[in-house]
Amino acid sequence: MKTDPTKDPTADLATDLTADLAADRPSGEAAVAFRAATKTFGTVRAVDGLDLTVRRGETVALLGRNGAGKSTTIALLLGLDEPDTGRVEILGGSPSRAVAAGRVGAMLQEGRPVPRVTVHELVSFVARTYPAPMPVAEALALAGLTDLAGRRVDRLSGGQTQRVRFAVSLVGNPELIVLDEPTAALDVEARQEFWDSMRGYARRGNTVLFSTHYLEEADEHADRIVVLDSGRILAAGTSEELKRAAGGSLVSFDLAGGPTEWLGLLPGVSSYEVRGDRARLRTDDSDGTVRALAERDAIRSLEVTPISLNDAFLSLTAKNLEQVR
Amino acid sequence: MITAYVRLEVRRTLRDIGFVISTIGVPVMMYLLFTNLGVDDSAYKKAAMVGMAAYGALGAALSLGTGVAEDKSTGWLRQLRITPMTPRQVVTGRALTGSVVVLPAIIGVLLAGGLANGVRMDAWQWALVALTLWLGSLPFTLLGIGNGYQLTAQTTGVVNVASNLGLAVLGGLWFPISLFPGWLQTVSGFTPTNRFAELGVSMAEGTAPGWATLAVLVGWAALFGTYAAVSYRRSARTV
Repeated sequence: MKTDPTKDPTADLATDLTADLAADRPSGEAAVAFRAATKTFGTVRAVDGLDLTVRRGETVALLGRNGAGKSTTIALLLGLDEPDTGRVEILGGSPSRAVAAGRVGAMLQEGRPVPRVTVHELVSFVARTYPAPMPVAEALALAGLTDLAGRRVDRLSGGQTQRVRFAVSLVGNPELIVLDEPTAALDVEARQEFWDSMRGYARRGNTVLFSTHYLEEADEHADRIVVLDSGRILAAGTSEELKRAAGGSLVSFDLAGGPTEWLGLLPGVSSYEVRGDRARLRTDDSDGTVRALAERDAIRSLEVTPISLNDAFLSLTAKNLEQVR
Repeated sequence: MITAYVRLEVRRTLRDIGFVISTIGVPVMMYLLFTNLGVDDSAYKKAAMVGMAAYGALGAALSLGTGVAEDKSTGWLRQLRITPMTPRQVVTGRALTGSVVVLPAIIGVLLAGGLANGVRMDAWQWALVALTLWLGSLPFTLLGIGNGYQLTAQTTGVVNVASNLGLAVLGGLWFPISLFPGWLQTVSGFTPTNRFAELGVSMAEGTAPGWATLAVLVGWAALFGTYAAVSYRRSARTV
């Protein structure tokens, strides 16, 4: 979303602003800190030496494929699991302490809705377990549930259930909210409504950490993206930074039947592919690449585009796959 | 915090039609059926009333475990772990819920005895019978909770039905144990259900319960309590 002020190139400025909004909270320590955390299940290293810091007031996306270690990371973060080695701290203490103090709210991925309670009963019960909750009506309004308050949770649609989970995670007015794939199983419209609500909550100076495998969601809604694969962080930064890290831009042109073997030798080109008669070159130095192409007069329908986050993600995870092998 | 939790869980339990029918409807119906088919015996009507109330309480206490297992599989227990409620508060809340939801079963059968079958006792005796049956159901609540934490949702259901029927028949809640062969009567004397009913009967007859009765019940309560605690601790790591 180009109108979003939290995006590069003004990201640092915007983060400072959110940090200021959060200034009335006790600050000084990070919202989330993983230090060389490792978690193994059998022979699988679900989380492998993870180092991650989330500042207060930030909205951070954990991006990765299924099985990349997102859910385990979140379980460690909430104290549902203990790391085998390394440390996990939230809000300057152990996860269980922060949870017990009511400073964390979370929306878990798995599970069916709790049977035989109404939306209002459930949300007001959860509110009462927290020391300083927001009014239940406010939480219901934020999650778009006001009209469904009297309905039974186990008789709602998938999207509505997801909104109930969101209301449950935020009604305690926590400083940190953790959402594990919050929009899985939502249709496009419900997804948009969900993110509108989430933004409303983040704007109050709260810290939000969410996991997703939708690139657009990470791109549009997070200040910073952390790319996870095989339990490790491949890259972290704004989406612009990720695109740069993955190798700047894409130069494409029509081959017009010309040879292809020299494409990889062009200046700046890190990889290339040929689809039909069109060559697509990924390059770190688009000016140099274009100049070299011009010298060879290979500029038919020449196009220079920044790579998409999708390309960046694929390229980052593919590199990791090579290293693992 | 615990009160709010207990209120929520009691509501959830009483909205379960299956629970209401099997723990209140069935014991009341069985009581009325058994006591009005044969000879008109007012002593049997009183003893059977206590036995069936005990049976209803047993069923309600055990089915609490089915609820726990269900909550484990829906992820509700995991969701509770990320609220500020401590695991200890959650288990305590569950046990308290158990002690609330056994009450309708006990009261239902006692009402059937007093109103439909004309069982007559002093007011204090009625109160004492209800109270002892209520307190005496604690070991079964613990057993149900233990099963719920220990087993999966499906096996909990099966194990609870087996425990329920086995303990009810063996303990003489359905038929008086005087019909049993001698060796089985001895076994029956060691079951928690038999002593549980005996506790209620002695209250109904206005006599003090024997030491053996109390000892057996306390023993089972300790055993089931340990089982519940161990099962809970084991499952807390994985839920």
